Amino acid sequence: MFSYALKSLRANITRLVATALAVILGIGFLASGLMLTDAMRSGLTGDVEEQYQNVDFAIIATASSEQSSGMDFQLTVPESVLATARATPGVEAAAGEIQADARVLRPDGTTANLRSQGRSWIADSELNPLSLDEGSAPKGSAQVVLDRKLASEAGASVGDTVSVQTPAGTKQFKVSGISSFGRQDALDDGGTISFSEETAVQVLNAGTPGFSDVLLRTSGDPATVQAALEEALPTSVAIQTGEQFVSDAAESASAFISLLRPVLQGFAYLSMFVAAFVIFNTFSVVVTQRFRELALIRAVGGTPAQVRRSLIFEGMAIGVVASALGIVVGAGLAIGLQALLRQFDLEIPGAGVKISTYTVVLCMLIGVVVTTLSVIVPAFRAGRTKPVEAMRSSAVDTSGSSAVRAVFGAIFLLGAIALLLANRFVGVQWFYLTFGALFLFIGLFIGGPLLARLFAILVRPIMALFGMTGRLAADNAVRNPKRTATTANALVIGLFLVTLVTVSGEAMKTSLVDQLSSASSPDFIVSSQGAIDPKLVSSIDKTPGVTNTAAIKSSVAVESTGQATFVSAASLDELTKSAGLKVTSGSSDAVASGAGIAVPDFSNFGGGALSSPGAIGAGLGDVVILRTLDGQELSLPIVAVYEGSLESFVGNIMNPETFKSVVGEKPVSQVFVRVEPGQADAVGQDLEKVLQGYTGVEVQPGNFIGQIVGTVFDFLIAAVNALLAMSVIVALVGIVNTMTLSIFERRRELGMVRALGMTRQQVGRMVRFEAVLIGLLGTLVGMGAGILLSWVVISSIADGAIDLSFNWARVGLIFLVGILVGVVASILPARRATRLNMLDAMSEA
Amino acid sequence: MSNAVQTSWAAQVHGAAKIYGSGENEVRALDHVTVGFEKGAFTAIMGPSGSGKSTLMQCAAGLDRLTAGTAFIGDVDITKLGEKALTLLRRDKVGFIFQQFNLLPTLTAEENITFPLDLAGRKPDPAWMTHVVNTVGLSDRLHHKPSELSGGQQQRVAVARALVERPEIIFADEPTGNLDSTSSAEILSFMEGAVKEFGQTVVMVTHDPVAASHASRVLFLADGRIVDELMAPTRDSVLDRMRNLGD
Ligand SMILES: Nc1ncnc2c1ncn2[C@@H]1O[C@H](COP(=O)(O)OP(=O)(O)OP(=O)(O)O)[C@@H](O)[C@H]1O
Ligand SMILES: [Mg+2]
Repeated sequence: MFSYALKSLRANITRLVATALAVILGIGFLASGLMLTDAMRSGLTGDVEEQYQNVDFAIIATASSEQSSGMDFQLTVPESVLATARATPGVEAAAGEIQADARVLRPDGTTANLRSQGRSWIADSELNPLSLDEGSAPKGSAQVVLDRKLASEAGASVGDTVSVQTPAGTKQFKVSGISSFGRQDALDDGGTISFSEETAVQVLNAGTPGFSDVLLRTSGDPATVQAALEEALPTSVAIQTGEQFVSDAAESASAFISLLRPVLQGFAYLSMFVAAFVIFNTFSVVVTQRFRELALIRAVGGTPAQVRRSLIFEGMAIGVVASALGIVVGAGLAIGLQALLRQFDLEIPGAGVKISTYTVVLCMLIGVVVTTLSVIVPAFRAGRTKPVEAMRSSAVDTSGSSAVRAVFGAIFLLGAIALLLANRFVGVQWFYLTFGALFLFIGLFIGGPLLARLFAILVRPIMALFGMTGRLAADNAVRNPKRTATTANALVIGLFLVTLVTVSGEAMKTSLVDQLSSASSPDFIVSSQGAIDPKLVSSIDKTPGVTNTAAIKSSVAVESTGQATFVSAASLDELTKSAGLKVTSGSSDAVASGAGIAVPDFSNFGGGALSSPGAIGAGLGDVVILRTLDGQELSLPIVAVYEGSLESFVGNIMNPETFKSVVGEKPVSQVFVRVEPGQADAVGQDLEKVLQGYTGVEVQPGNFIGQIVGTVFDFLIAAVNALLAMSVIVALVGIVNTMTLSIFERRRELGMVRALGMTRQQVGRMVRFEAVLIGLLGTLVGMGAGILLSWVVISSIADGAIDLSFNWARVGLIFLVGILVGVVASILPARRATRLNMLDAMSEA
Repeated sequence: MSNAVQTSWAAQVHGAAKIYGSGENEVRALDHVTVGFEKGAFTAIMGPSGSGKSTLMQCAAGLDRLTAGTAFIGDVDITKLGEKALTLLRRDKVGFIFQQFNLLPTLTAEENITFPLDLAGRKPDPAWMTHVVNTVGLSDRLHHKPSELSGGQQQRVAVARALVERPEIIFADEPTGNLDSTSSAEILSFMEGAVKEFGQTVVMVTHDPVAASHASRVLFLADGRIVDELMAPTRDSVLDRMRNLGD
């Protein structure tokens, strides 16, 4: 009896480890997913939330406050508002934010960063999103604070004097300090130049008072303060709570996040699903098994209810302990994955892991609830089976093959296919897509056991070619169709999404990039942060394969309203030849003769990086007034409008004479290059050679937006796949668990076949086949569903316009991964099976 | 111990010892047993529980290894065989009938019967197969799964499986232990018939004097030694000897 107890304990330890491992991995997967998404989120939104955390309220301008004078549509909060706010009871501190384009020049006169922003330094350190790393805050009219990166780009350190271009012109400033923004260098992508408040009003607003927003720090009851503010302030402004303001700020801090958020959320749900699957599956196996043994205990007098209760407590205990361990494992996984991706140069945004309360609570909750449910469901099921049945050896389970199941499974599957196909014919509609996908999954889960049986019937003849071992493996794989289906389903989800993301993500990328390429762009852009030597321009022109070039000089000019605007000297005709620029209205000759300027048309684009008259709806016939270097105002009529895709490279286009009178002599900073069709790769390499020896000059493919979009998609596909890879690993562990437990269940039978003359190698092969078959089932179903949905998505984006074909190589790769999962999952169970002691296995009662 | 192996033995053990555990816990399951199982004979092994019957059978059949001594199947010294060779020898030369869990639940009766042949990649002789199946009365149950067969029918499938490959020797450990007397009698008469009609060699472990009376020779084991032997046993003579063994 004692030896029996020991033996049973040993067997139970194996099971305990198996179940705890399932929970640990499932929750680890969920936790790492949540942690990674948190890290990404904070990496992408920057540290906006932390840096603005002391903002209790923000005053922002509303549409009604538009000073719709001429072309200045900038929404500003009037200066008077700041004083009013400061005087409102409950307001501890108030600060106006001012923001405009500003550039720091290097000692050699070149621009340090073309996208830097000027801001006013907020004196109240709690409200100020920036922190001072070195030196002191800017004081008076001749000091600035630069962020760390911009300072190094400009080659400036504390105490140096730098030239700063602002809407008010170029002036010398002393660098009084170095700032940072949380863990990042700057709040603005291109860097931040901070001026003292009075100076900011003068140089950034060109003397026009007004703020982009006013930040408030308050004390006392927020509702009272808000009411008092509403009372005191004009209706032209609106009051936002700190949270609203921060979330808006976070949103605008990165356009990425809005694209990524649903993906990340979806991923979190997915991890929950997969975790629940693995846990549920392992427990169903273990509890059913335990109950079989417990039939003995019941015979001795334990009631099923007692047994069930003790099992459920056990389950809950495992749930709590293993979930806690899972969170730790999850942190490890997340760090490991980040490190791994870095090895492959795939930096995902955000570093380190953030373990938020939300993550811990959610993981514990899910871990305990799923584990407990996973015990209760099979415990009740097993409790209902008659003792006789429970004592029987592991026979063939015919559950999961009922007619009801078949009918419902079929209804959902056919419904799903019909709904998904409907997209193909009536165009993609979210209703059809969502319900189609939902039905597909319900169908797969209800019909899973039947699919497993069908699968076994189909593969049996093929497996029989491998002899008896193959034949038995096919049979064994569906000994318990429900269990097999649940095990395979964990893989189904992972591979379904991998296929969908890879195949349709790839296609979407191709489609978008193609669309963007058809917009105007040069083949190459040669650019320099400084100047491009005229000799280099002519060597580029003479490079074999180059058909057209356009040399461009650019600078920031200031409108009479104080707005900074981006201007370039170039010939529209040359731009048309070298970069496919399209003049949508007006004439290029008028620009060339100096009669006026050309502005970009934004009707098809969201807006420009730099404010430009064209960006706010000015059109042919309007007049732009620019300040010239000698302080005069120059009225320039808009005589041509061009399609906006080149806006960020050229801005407003004028002839060289006009350009010179506005901003003075400037060097060529960009050359657009058009090459002979099909020669892009070769010419690109030649250009690289031509550029050798010219430091700071680089050549880039011209389809810049296409490149960026392509990179974004590549990143998304890689990031999502990396996360999904973990779901595949968890599915793998699920297969290992199921197989190990199945082997334990069938140990007598394995002993018997060994006695009858099945060699160890044959037993091993049989088990390996079985694991591979389960993997294959999951792979085929997952990929099948993924391909079906991808096909629908692709054919709907394609709209007949672009011919999109599947990337079959990728599909093949995913298939191989699925098979590999089965093979890897089989190693351990096969070893266990071959090492079973034949006689022990047979003699155990 | 003679080096000249007598070929009239289907299986034999010489000075076979099997010791489990060590020190205080040492159990001598077999204590220097020397015995041969004659070709074409039906031998029964009897003895009190724990006397070493199963151990003797398992060691003689190549399922387990002796602590000391040698064991032969035909003229092959199985104590010198490696794991794989031993397995293949069992597959090709030895038939087994266990008390329970004899059959693979996913295979039909017919597939279970041909299982060892399938493992070897051999086809059964159709005439012999039909003959065996008819003999055990399974011809209308061939396509049933074990779960659709009664306990007695399942044991008949096991008997047919052992017979169809025409092994050198069949070992059966309490093949009727779980059956009612009618089914037992059927199974025993099939085995007896196989010995008489086809010259099959059978070694059977049993507790049942009636079962033992179907054999041509009964060996009595006690404390790991052969303590008695009876030729042409009847139920009563077996009972008589058992009483004399004094347990
Ligand atoms: N794996 C083992 N480990 C330790 N002792 C064992 C082992 N197998 C058998 N024994 C011991 O060896 C002795 C002989 O066992 P064996 O199974 O051969 O007896 P048996 O005659 O077949 O008994 P039964 O009629 O109850 O089946 C017994 O004392 C038993 O406890
Ligand atoms: Mg025994």
